[in-house]
Amino acid sequence: MASYTAEEPTVTLERVNTPPAQTWNYLKTNDITLTVPKLSRKGDVYFALPRLFDKVETGMGQKVTDWVTSQAADSTYVEVKAGEKNHAPIVVDVDSNAGTVQDAGVLVRQGASATVVVVAHGTSAEPQTSAALVRIIVEEGAHLSLVEVVATTDAHHHLESVGIHADAGATLDIRQFLLGAGVTALGTCATLAGDNGRVSLQTHYLGEHEQTLDINHVVRMAGKNGRAEVHENGILNDSARKSLRATIDLIHGGSGSKGNEAETVLVNGDGVVNKTMPVILCDEDDVQGNHGATIGSVEPEQIDYLMDRGLSRDEATNLFVRALFDDALIEADQPLARKAVFERAQQVLGAEVAQNLLDTLGLELAADAGEKDADAQATATATKESAD
Amino acid sequence: MAEKSKRTQVEDVDRSLYDFVKSEEGYERYADGLTPDIVRAISAKKDEPQWMLDLRLKALEIYQDKQMASNWGPSIAGLDMDHISTYVSPKTKQAKDWNDVPKDIKDTFERLGIPEAERESLAGVGAQYDSEIVYHNMREEVAKQGVVYTTIEDAIHDPKWEPVVREYFGTLIPPTDHKFAALHYAVWSGGSFVYVPEGVHLDYPLQSYFRLNAQGAGQFEHTLIIVEPGADLHFIEGCSAPKYYEANLHAGAVELFVKDHARLRYSTIENWSKNMYNLNTKRATVGEDSKMEWVSGSFGSHVSYLYPTTILKGDRASCEYTGITFSGATQDLDTGCKFILLGKDTNVSADAKSISKDGGVNTFRSSVFVGKDATNARATVSCSSLMLDDISRSDTIPQMDIRNNTAQVGHEATIGRISDDTILYLMSRGCSEAEARTMVVNGFADPVSKELPLEYAVEMNNLIKIEMEGAIG
Repeated sequence: MASYTAEEPTVTLERVNTPPAQTWNYLKTNDITLTVPKLSRKGDVYFALPRLFDKVETGMGQKVTDWVTSQAADSTYVEVKAGEKNHAPIVVDVDSNAGTVQDAGVLVRQGASATVVVVAHGTSAEPQTSAALVRIIVEEGAHLSLVEVVATTDAHHHLESVGIHADAGATLDIRQFLLGAGVTALGTCATLAGDNGRVSLQTHYLGEHEQTLDINHVVRMAGKNGRAEVHENGILNDSARKSLRATIDLIHGGSGSKGNEAETVLVNGDGVVNKTMPVILCDEDDVQGNHGATIGSVEPEQIDYLMDRGLSRDEATNLFVRALFDDALIEADQPLARKAVFERAQQVLGAEVAQNLLDTLGLELAADAGEKDADAQATATATKESAD
Repeated sequence: MAEKSKRTQVEDVDRSLYDFVKSEEGYERYADGLTPDIVRAISAKKDEPQWMLDLRLKALEIYQDKQMASNWGPSIAGLDMDHISTYVSPKTKQAKDWNDVPKDIKDTFERLGIPEAERESLAGVGAQYDSEIVYHNMREEVAKQGVVYTTIEDAIHDPKWEPVVREYFGTLIPPTDHKFAALHYAVWSGGSFVYVPEGVHLDYPLQSYFRLNAQGAGQFEHTLIIVEPGADLHFIEGCSAPKYYEANLHAGAVELFVKDHARLRYSTIENWSKNMYNLNTKRATVGEDSKMEWVSGSFGSHVSYLYPTTILKGDRASCEYTGITFSGATQDLDTGCKFILLGKDTNVSADAKSISKDGGVNTFRSSVFVGKDATNARATVSCSSLMLDDISRSDTIPQMDIRNNTAQVGHEATIGRISDDTILYLMSRGCSEAEARTMVVNGFADPVSKELPLEYAVEMNNLIKIEMEGAIG
C-alpha cells in the first residue's frame, strides 16, 4: 500500500459554494474561501464513481468536488435496483474526529425508493476537517429521502457538497440538520431535469459561539410542472455567523413549474452576523416563483410570557433550541444519526436536558449505533449489491 | 383549437415623442476617449478652482485602475470609451427665459413638455442638453424663501456657495466607489445644486430634465441636494435621448443630504434610448426623524446599473422606495435599491416591480444592512415581477446582512405572468387582448404611478402603453 505524503499541508479553496447568480462582492455573501488539508496520494489506485455522476451538479461546485475526490480514500457507489422499495438506509459515515473525507454516489433506479443518511459526527476538541461529497441520480418515478446531520464540535470544520439529478416524476425529500461545527460549509444542488419532478428541501440550523455556517442551496427546475419547496429555519446565538444563499432557477422550458423558498431566522446573540440571499432566476413566463425571508428576535412579550410562567430568560430562549433538537431526533431516525444528534444535544443543552428530550419523545438509542463495523457492513452490503 | 397565449405581430412602435434628433452642427465636441488633457480641458472650460481639477485627475487615475466585477451584472462589452466623447456642448449660454434658448433646443424641450410642466406645476426647472445646462429658472417666491437651485458650476463660482459645494461634493459617493463613479468625477459636467434652508417647505417640486442629443457621447451630470433641518422638498428628474446605433453613456451621480426632521422625495422617470449604457449612482444620507422617498420609473437604456442607496444614520429615520422597471427587446436592466440602517428605530419599506417582455432582461438587486447599533430597526422589501412572454427573463437577487438582534427584517418576492383567466375575463367584457394586457400592466404599475405628480404619472402610463403596443396582439 502506498504511503500518504503531505507535500502540501493545506490548500485554499477560493470562492467556493457560489450561487448561480451573484451580487456585489463587497457584501462578502457570494462565496466562502476555505483552507483544507491537502494530501498527496502518489501511487494509489482507488475506486472512482462511474462517469455517469460527472453530470451531477453539486452545491459546493467543482473545486470542492476535485478536492474531495483527491482526498477520499475511496469512493462508495450504491445502486438501488429498479422498483426496489425496501432498501436498507445507505449511510455515509463521516467521522469528524478522524477528519474523514467521503465520496459517495447513489443511483436510484426507475421506480425505486431509497433513503440516504449522511452523518458528520464528532466530539473531540482536536482540530480536524472532514468532508462528504454525495452525488445521487434519481431515475424516473423514483423517490429519494435524504437526511443530513452535521453534529460535531467547534474544533471541527466540515464541508458537505450534495448534488442530485432527478428524472421525470422523481420525488426528493431532503432534511438537513446543521447542529454544530466550527465551520459548516454546505452546498446542495437539486436538478429537476424531467417533467413533474418534486423536491422538498428543509434545513434546520443552529449557530452558536463563533461558529460559521455557509449554506448554498440551488434548485434547478428544467422539467415541466416541477414543484420545489425550500424552507430554512434556524437559530443564531452568541457571535455565530451565517450566510445562506438559496436559489430557485426556473429554466426556460420548465413551464408550469412552481418554486417557493422561505427562511425564518431567530437571532439571539449580540455578536451575530446573519446574511441571507434568496434568489429567484426566471427564464420562463408560465411559472411561479416566490420567496420570503423573516429575520427577527424573540419578541419581548413572548419572553415575558414565558418568564411569567417561571422560566428564566435563558431557559425561555433555550426552548427554541430544544425544539430544534426535538425535530432532529424525530426526523433523523437512523441509529448513527440519532446518536450524533443526541451527543450534540448533550454538548449544547447538557446531559440532563438531552436525556429528557429522548425520554419525552419516547426514543432510545440503538445499542450498536455508531459502531464502525455496523456502518461499514451496511455500506459494504449496498456496494456489493451493486457489484453483483 | 386556438393556440394558447397566441401573440400576433404589430408594427414597430412610433417613439417619435422621444426619438428625434437635432443637428450637432456648430457644437463644441471634445475628442473621443479619455485622457488627462481632456479632463484638464473640461476643468479649464469651467474655470474651476484647483481642488476640483485635482479631484478630477485623481478620479481619472482611479478609473483607469479599477476593474468591473466579472461575476455579476449585465455585460458592458459594447461600451468602448475610445468611441465616447465626454463633453459635447451647444454654443449657447444658460438662459432664464425659454425665448433665449436656441430654437432647436427649445423645440426639443417643448416636445418633451418641459416648459408647459414648468408653467403648471413646478417651482423651478433646470434643463440640460448634452453636457451643459441650457435653461435654469426658479419661481421668485421660492427664491425669496432662500432656496438655491442652480448648477454646480455656478455654485462653485459663488463665494457663498463654493465652500458648501466643497464640503459636500463627492463625500457621499466617493470616486473610489466603483469604476464609473470614478469616471463621473473625472469628467462631470452640468447637473444641479439645490439648497433648501432650515424649515422651508416647497409646495411645488423642482425638476431637472436631461436630454442627450449627441451621438456617441456621454452625459455626466452631478446633482447635489442639501435639505436642511425641518425642510421639505420634492425633486423630479427626467431624462431621454434619441436612438442611435452607436453606444451612448450616462454616468451621473446624485448626492442627497437630508438633515434632521426633514423630508426629501426624489422622483425619476428615466427613458433613455435603447443604445444607452446607464451606469448611474444615487445615494442619500438621512438624519434623525427624517424621511427619504424614492420614486423611480425606469423604461429606457440598453444596459442599466442603478441602485439608489439610502443611509439611515439618524435615529427614527425612515425610507420608502417605490420603483418600476420595464425591460423590452435588447434591454438588460439591473436595478434595485440598497439600505444601510445605522440609527435606532429606523424603518425601511421598499416596493419594487418589474415587467419583462420581448426578450428583455430584468434583474432586481437589493441589499439591506442593519448595523450593530440599529436597535429595533425594521425593513421590508417586496419585489414583484411580471413576465409577458417566454423569451424574456426576470431575476431577483436580494441580500440581507443583519447584525442587531432586535431587528425585524422581511423580504418577499414573486415572479409570474398574467393569468389567462384574467385576460379571458376582460376580453369577455369587450376588451381586446392588447387592451386587457395593458390594463393589467397599468394596474400592476399603479402603486408607482400614484406616487408621481399627475403629469408624470400620465407620462409613465404613456410609456407603458408605448411599450405594450410593441408586445401584444
